[in-house]
Amino acid sequence: MTRIRSSVFSLLLLALFSASAFAQGRRISGRVTVEGSGEPLANASVSVVGTALGTYTDDQGRFSVTTPDNGPATLRVRRIGYIQKSVAVPAGATESNIGLARDILQLETQVVTGTATTVSSVNAANAVTVINSEKLNKVPAQTIDYALQGKIPGALVTQNSGAPGGGVQIQLRGISTINASFQPIYVIDGVIVDNSQIANGINAITAAAGGNFGSTQDVRVNRTADLNPNDIETIQILKGPSASSIYGSRGTNGVIIITTKQGQAGQTTLDFTQRFGSAAISNKIGIRCFSSGAEVDAAGFDSTGFGAATNKCHDYQQELYGEHPFNYQTIASLRGATPGGTNFYLSGLVQHDGGLVHNDNYNKQSIRANVGQKFGGRLTARVNSELIHSLTERGISGNDNTGINPYTLFSEQPSFLDLRRQADGTFPVGPIVANTSNPFQNAELIKTPEDVFRMLGSGSLAYDFISTDRQKLDFTLNGGVDSYSDHAKVISPATAYVEQVNANPGTIVVGDANIVNATLGGILRHQLVANAFSATTSAGFGQVRRNTDVIENTGRGIFPGVTNVSSATQIFTTESQDIVKSSSLFGQEEFLTLSERLLLTAGVTAERTSNNGDPKKYYAYPKFSASYRLPFLPPKTDELKLRLAYGRAGNQPLSGKYTFLTNLIEEGVTGFRASTAKGFPGIKPETTSEIEGGLDWTLFTGRARFSATQFRKQTDNLLLTASIAPSTGFTSQTINGGQLVTHGTELELGMTPIRMGQLEWISNTTYSSNKGKVTQLPVPGFIPASGSFGSRFGNAFIKQGQLITVLQAINGCTALNAAGTACPSANRVLTFVGNSAPDYEMGFSNDLNFGSFHFSSLVDWRKGGLGVNLTNDYFVGAGTLADTARATKMLSDFAKGIDVWVENSGFVKIRELTLGYDLPAGLATRLFQGRVQSARVELSGRNLKTWTKYTGLDPEVSNFGNQPLGRFQDVTPYPPSRLWYFTINTTF
Amino acid sequence: MKRYSTIALAVAVAATAACKDNAVVNPIDAPTVGALSGALTRVTLQQLATGALAQDRGSANAFAYAIETGILARDVYRIDASEPRFVQETLGGNPDPGSFSGSGAWQGYYTAMRAENNLILALANAPASQFTAAEVNATRGFIRTMKAIELWRVIEVHDTVGATIQTDDVDAVTPVRCKTAVLAYIAALLDSANTDLAAAGGTTVVPFKMPSGFTAFGRDYSKVSNLILFNRGWKGKVDYYRALDRTSPTPALFATAITELTTALGAGPGAVPSSQFNTGAYYVFVPGGSENTPNTISDSKIGLNPLVQDSVQAGDTRASKIVPRTALAGFGLSTTITYVFAVASTANQSHPLAILRDEELVLLRAQAEIEAGQFANAVLDVNSVRTSYGLTATAFATQAAGRNAVLYEKRYSFLFEGPQRFDDLREYKMLNATFHRPETSTDPFNAALPLPRAELNARALTTNPACTS
Repeated sequence: MTRIRSSVFSLLLLALFSASAFAQGRRISGRVTVEGSGEPLANASVSVVGTALGTYTDDQGRFSVTTPDNGPATLRVRRIGYIQKSVAVPAGATESNIGLARDILQLETQVVTGTATTVSSVNAANAVTVINSEKLNKVPAQTIDYALQGKIPGALVTQNSGAPGGGVQIQLRGISTINASFQPIYVIDGVIVDNSQIANGINAITAAAGGNFGSTQDVRVNRTADLNPNDIETIQILKGPSASSIYGSRGTNGVIIITTKQGQAGQTTLDFTQRFGSAAISNKIGIRCFSSGAEVDAAGFDSTGFGAATNKCHDYQQELYGEHPFNYQTIASLRGATPGGTNFYLSGLVQHDGGLVHNDNYNKQSIRANVGQKFGGRLTARVNSELIHSLTERGISGNDNTGINPYTLFSEQPSFLDLRRQADGTFPVGPIVANTSNPFQNAELIKTPEDVFRMLGSGSLAYDFISTDRQKLDFTLNGGVDSYSDHAKVISPATAYVEQVNANPGTIVVGDANIVNATLGGILRHQLVANAFSATTSAGFGQVRRNTDVIENTGRGIFPGVTNVSSATQIFTTESQDIVKSSSLFGQEEFLTLSERLLLTAGVTAERTSNNGDPKKYYAYPKFSASYRLPFLPPKTDELKLRLAYGRAGNQPLSGKYTFLTNLIEEGVTGFRASTAKGFPGIKPETTSEIEGGLDWTLFTGRARFSATQFRKQTDNLLLTASIAPSTGFTSQTINGGQLVTHGTELELGMTPIRMGQLEWISNTTYSSNKGKVTQLPVPGFIPASGSFGSRFGNAFIKQGQLITVLQAINGCTALNAAGTACPSANRVLTFVGNSAPDYEMGFSNDLNFGSFHFSSLVDWRKGGLGVNLTNDYFVGAGTLADTARATKMLSDFAKGIDVWVENSGFVKIRELTLGYDLPAGLATRLFQGRVQSARVELSGRNLKTWTKYTGLDPEVSNFGNQPLGRFQDVTPYPPSRLWYFTINTTF
Repeated sequence: MKRYSTIALAVAVAATAACKDNAVVNPIDAPTVGALSGALTRVTLQQLATGALAQDRGSANAFAYAIETGILARDVYRIDASEPRFVQETLGGNPDPGSFSGSGAWQGYYTAMRAENNLILALANAPASQFTAAEVNATRGFIRTMKAIELWRVIEVHDTVGATIQTDDVDAVTPVRCKTAVLAYIAALLDSANTDLAAAGGTTVVPFKMPSGFTAFGRDYSKVSNLILFNRGWKGKVDYYRALDRTSPTPALFATAITELTTALGAGPGAVPSSQFNTGAYYVFVPGGSENTPNTISDSKIGLNPLVQDSVQAGDTRASKIVPRTALAGFGLSTTITYVFAVASTANQSHPLAILRDEELVLLRAQAEIEAGQFANAVLDVNSVRTSYGLTATAFATQAAGRNAVLYEKRYSFLFEGPQRFDDLREYKMLNATFHRPETSTDPFNAALPLPRAELNARALTTNPACTS
């Protein structure tokens, strides 16, 4: 470390001394405008090709730049959202006016190559998907993950449930791990943000997993749900280690880099958006209606009261989930800069989304302040901060063993019974003998408030040591904190019928999670521009620290109305804490040559983590890449680039290093002995190497763009649990071993089929597929730790030579019983029934603009993939499925050893639909008394229609929340909803 | 400008200096075995001793100890309609190494041995400021005795299959040794423990609080003088079975066993008063609460083999251990009786279980005397037990008659107290159809449990390996 520090110093000194020679040049001034309209373009970057000189345009689009000499020069003008242009300026000329065309197909963006370096997508060697604010926020979404569905080739973005408040899994390029972290990391303005799923403790009353505390079956929300999509300028998705290697032992699953909006030069704008909307249940289970008391009796229910029932067939789902909530979002932002070098972006959000049950809801408020300040010409400081509060009431859904979930109850009683609140205010006692639970009463009495306060703060200091025509040297220090407290309560009062079976009726769970992620990084960057090449060298360090402390208190036996856990008859407490520290050093060289046609990049990150067996050992994560823009192009071609990238990233162990002491109590005295799980002092990160290659092809003068990528990803040293000889006193140990190989393809076709006057049609189609296989496994095959309900229904299974996403189930029988009606358990055939992952996914996005009218749509198609529909099991088993013939056949087949619960979970969904209208300037001015620059109204919808063969509520659901494997378990989830919004957006 | 550059440089240097941040994070949620290195304190010793003893209690309170060996010795039934393996893999077939029927009496004891080995290693770092040398010796002697008991429990049910001898190396998977070698190791371990105890001196008290099972049943084993009796009692038991071993007997050890048992009992043949019979060390169970370790024999699926009642002699007060129960039937077995403490109840969940009590030592001495031809002494010892339960004195003068007499006493004195009868029947070569009716049509008269599947897997084996001597 000392050696590195001193070399950083000498580099700094060298740089300072060489910063002397400023050659005598000339000034070129001019104006940058939008091609066609002539509108001035502020904040466009104007650089002198072949030098490191450059500037930005002011709010009138004006610029003034100095060239090194009086000879001919080339200016390159760039602006996000516009196609870059290079303009030759003859020798001696001092003025140049430049028009830029809109970049409809996103042909050019700046793509991240390191923690502080970017490259134009024209030269990028990786297929990095960039999503801008407009694309992200076309249709309002409850949480940011929903807004990404169908937009990223290579990403499966899947919602776990229809409950308000989020719970969405993003998986980039298949599966890279079995037991380690499986979600991409999120980096916002340089700070790694937490995406944990914290159980709210509902398991204490659902007993889905038993016990007194929260479980993986608590319909958990992954906490990036807290982020405010409206503050986001761009999202860059590094899909695999070939791009994310710089993130070391967190990079395996890809990285989602979010940049929030910053103030910019020009007129200060106030943007105000008001949205109103609603939601409705979009799919229901077909529940059986009974036509006679005899039919009720024949189905095994008690028909008492059938004749007298005024409504012989209640649509329970409509009665409970029939709310049309009033949803709203109010978003305001102020963006601008002062002549004193201060720029600012301030924003606020107030959001309310109701659930389908009237007490369920999701509320979020956030305020953000991003402020930048220039001190002189060299030093820039920036502070970004956001305070977020969310309050979620998700109600009851998912697996339960106490008869508390509405769907469990709907399946267990004949639909002639009226379960709603009666005229006298009471609820009918549920008719199930063992449990008198009533879903309407549960929805009324049981509260699940979860409060999250989150603070995101980051700051950076950048200093330009050298800025000459040939070289630039700057240093950036970036640090920040993501800190939140998640305070969740479950209040199930003693008056609820479902509590009556408990020894101590009345349950309260109070959970508190405190999570802090701190990131610090420093980057020294040097750019050398020569006639034949330009070289960017960067080196730096990074540190990440993560503290978590999750505590849960459960009280049983609480007086109704009391919400204080300490008044309980019985109190149970659990806590888990963790601290992880990582430290890294990195260096990277980017070399652009052959008239900017060839880009070569090499870099390495060395990282250590306290979770590794040897916390002081640095592990190396190298990367290499090359891209080449062909000089000889086929006809109609604007640009054809070939690219190849290799990178390695890691996945740090989460546990397994230590042999803990297990506490045992004897006669009230606490004792300790070595745990039977033996620590592995040599534990190290899983390593994933990825090679990706492809081409980017632009045709027909920017009217079409085609991009193809093929990748191969190989994970070695998988973190696995090995059984060890129990005669050593231990039974298991975490080891590194095995190998997983994933191949995949990603295709993207963007077109502007029509651009005639006011009419414009933009179309973007994506395709992605991947398959992962377990190629080596040093332990016997096993069911992964993520939850399942056994092979009678279907579970994930890890086996050498099999797909990692294979679904295992009992399906078949060697010999039925004598009557031919059932398969004796010994004769059942345990087999691999197929792949739980989709064969491929396609996204179709189409935008149609006609003058002031805008129409856009996004369709998401997943082909194939299997799910385990256990919701069906509830209704089939109880005889309450409307399709009785099908239910009878399913039961009979199930008895014969056929896995009737495994279903194709492919689907086509209309994710987004928007119709927008820009108010004419005159009308806007009249309506808003001249204060408004522009105004737009929009009508939009999300998840409006689904086509699927899947017979459950939603093919996307996951009973166990986000899971690396086996997320296909569908157990009585919260039903999905379709949402629509009316939006007014005004810019002052 | 200069000012800004100075600030920037200072910040850069400060940031790089932050790299010095300590890379090591010690886990904060639970202690690790790292806590065992460094100086041992009395607090830590208390925790380690309790941990080892609690693990030992948990292991002996498992199915394989009293219940399964009771089934194999034809005294006990466990009939559970939803779990046929309690019958099919005990009296109807062989225990499956992958199921509860064939994987027991193994991992729990080896985990206890690991805890004991760790404790013995930690004793090397017991500073004089915390412990006297005598206390260290007393602790080592006691823990070594416990370690010998764990291994005895493994080998007594694994018999000819063998067992492994755990070493201090946590990674070492040691060979499966034959019963003779294992018993010799246990005997040597008990002797080295006895040497430690002798070095500690009889008046020394162990430097930690023992569970009440070691202090409240007639003899306070926290005193080294009593621990020596405990150690010698076990040595006598082990030496007796080494002497008798049906495949490789060492008759010379009968005399050694008699001497050791006499030392442990403190009285000669026939001279142990019945008031001393229940004196010994016990497991005490605490149902409910966070400890929640109920005695597992308090189980509604348990009954007694009807033969137990058929054979009891008139007037035997031990017949009170046999009580009626609702009919329990299935898989070709049926019974209407059970063991009084097997009746499922909260009270029975806390019924203590003897680790070793003096009555067993008396009968073990009688067994050794029978094998050594000392029938007069054997009769005295047998009758001291027999008469205390309301029966008339008996007499015998042959090995066969003596064995039968002592088998009767042991059956009723130690009903549901562990594998005593299982061991005896096997070593007397009576665990077969000549002496017992088959309980099912496919009764294989199982005499040993196999190596558990997990042990076989870790050794890349599918069947029990040949043991090494």
